[in-house]
Amino acid sequence: MKLPRLFGKKRGHRRTGSEAWGSFAEGLFYSALVAAGLLFGGTVLTGAAGVGWPRLDANDSGAGRNWWLAILLLLIPGALLAFGGSGLVRILSGWGKSQERRAAGSGSVSLRGAMGHAAEEAPGHPGVPTCDDLVNSPGTILRYRLPIESPESWTLLGLGLFAALWNAVVVVLAVGAGADLLRGRTDWLLLALLAGFVAIGIGGVVLFIRMLVLTTAVGPTQVEISDHPLVPGGSYDMLIGQGGTGSLRSLELYLELEEFATFRQGTDTRTDRAVVWREGVKTWTDVPIAAGGRFETHVTLSIPPSAMHSFASEHNAVKWRVVVIGRPDRWPAFVRVFPLVIFPADATAVADAAFDQETLAAGGTA
Amino acid sequence: MPQGSIAGGSQGSGSTAMPRVMVHFDRPGRDYAPRQQLAVRHDIEGLGGEPLRAVERSVLWYTEGKGEEDLGVHWFERIDETEGLLAVSPWGEFTIRLPMSPLSYEGLIVKVRWCVRVRIFFADNRDFVSEHVFDVGGISPARAPLERLE
Repeated sequence: MKLPRLFGKKRGHRRTGSEAWGSFAEGLFYSALVAAGLLFGGTVLTGAAGVGWPRLDANDSGAGRNWWLAILLLLIPGALLAFGGSGLVRILSGWGKSQERRAAGSGSVSLRGAMGHAAEEAPGHPGVPTCDDLVNSPGTILRYRLPIESPESWTLLGLGLFAALWNAVVVVLAVGAGADLLRGRTDWLLLALLAGFVAIGIGGVVLFIRMLVLTTAVGPTQVEISDHPLVPGGSYDMLIGQGGTGSLRSLELYLELEEFATFRQGTDTRTDRAVVWREGVKTWTDVPIAAGGRFETHVTLSIPPSAMHSFASEHNAVKWRVVVIGRPDRWPAFVRVFPLVIFPADATAVADAAFDQETLAAGGTA
Repeated sequence: MPQGSIAGGSQGSGSTAMPRVMVHFDRPGRDYAPRQQLAVRHDIEGLGGEPLRAVERSVLWYTEGKGEEDLGVHWFERIDETEGLLAVSPWGEFTIRLPMSPLSYEGLIVKVRWCVRVRIFFADNRDFVSEHVFDVGGISPARAPLERLE
């Protein structure tokens, strides 16, 4: 019998390990987990681990403690058996089956949402994410208000958490150093360490306040749309609202298409992103924002007829989004992102377009 | 080998078979619209008299590019030798209706491709796969990467 090759050729120029050998190695790993679980469980159940099952003796004051300890010890072999057993079942059920047969048996591919969590598939549209999360907020004037997907908010939250946690550590160290000083002892090493920690803590708070002021001073951006999901070739009414005080040198609106590819590199999982298409929808210059009010305007958003629809699978995605860039007079520029979902165009329209294209190519008339 | 076809598999050193799978689409340009009917006929040649165990035929999409490969099977059929069909006629045809999505897409780091895949299993556990790509939707390919705005 000929053994499978260790390395097989994948599409393109990349080489990858043999699927059969990979499954074999995975099977060995899960078998080892099951064996470890059986061995560990056996030693606990037989008392070889030094924690025997207690006798049901009312006078034994340590019986209750032993029961809990034994049950806790059994959790580890239980987890090993469950993890290893489920892995073995998965490998054995797929052994000898082709990639297509396994995929056909498991149904549709799993989808990946904007933040990497599982997303629902739109009914009747394989590979297209649903837009349920984008249509659950009604607009004030138009039908839907688009949720913001701003990296600024996450950076602000991260900085706030860092500043709070770091300064909590500083307070604990300061209390210890203060108590020492009150007792008349001076721990110079602790004081030096504390000085460094205080400096970093103050820096964290300053950065957080600066970012908070920048974020709140500019004011919120609101985008509303007349319909959702969108389709290629469609035109939609869009409302742009920008709050804050002062004026903006410019406010720019773009429609973008971005690709996401997730891949393994050694033991890391990485996601690469590429913006592959961008269209400037409109640019407003010298935008005044009255105190307590906001700049508000309507614009028509047109989706190209041959545009790719939104796509999401386990490791790959194609996403549409509206990007708003504001350049205030007194503050740094800000970027705010609003995701969109585009469904494939109506099949009839696509078939007609394909027919027209063929007719034109053949030099005929429709 | 016809354009848009890929073939491969595990071949034994003592094998006399040099399989070729010819797939004929009902549209010469292999361009289809979503929900359109797809009719395919396939012929298997060069088996060298070796007995077959099964033939699997599927219509599927897969991703290609920088990310790990994802795959979705739209239609799948396995014909086992127990049904007695393979010995007499190693060819077949099928007609299916394509789904609404996903559409074929030629992106920069993400590509979505549709194909007809025919996989032959020989009696001695070797297999041979042949893949024939077609286009669904007529989507414009992506051009060049753009600088990020944020």
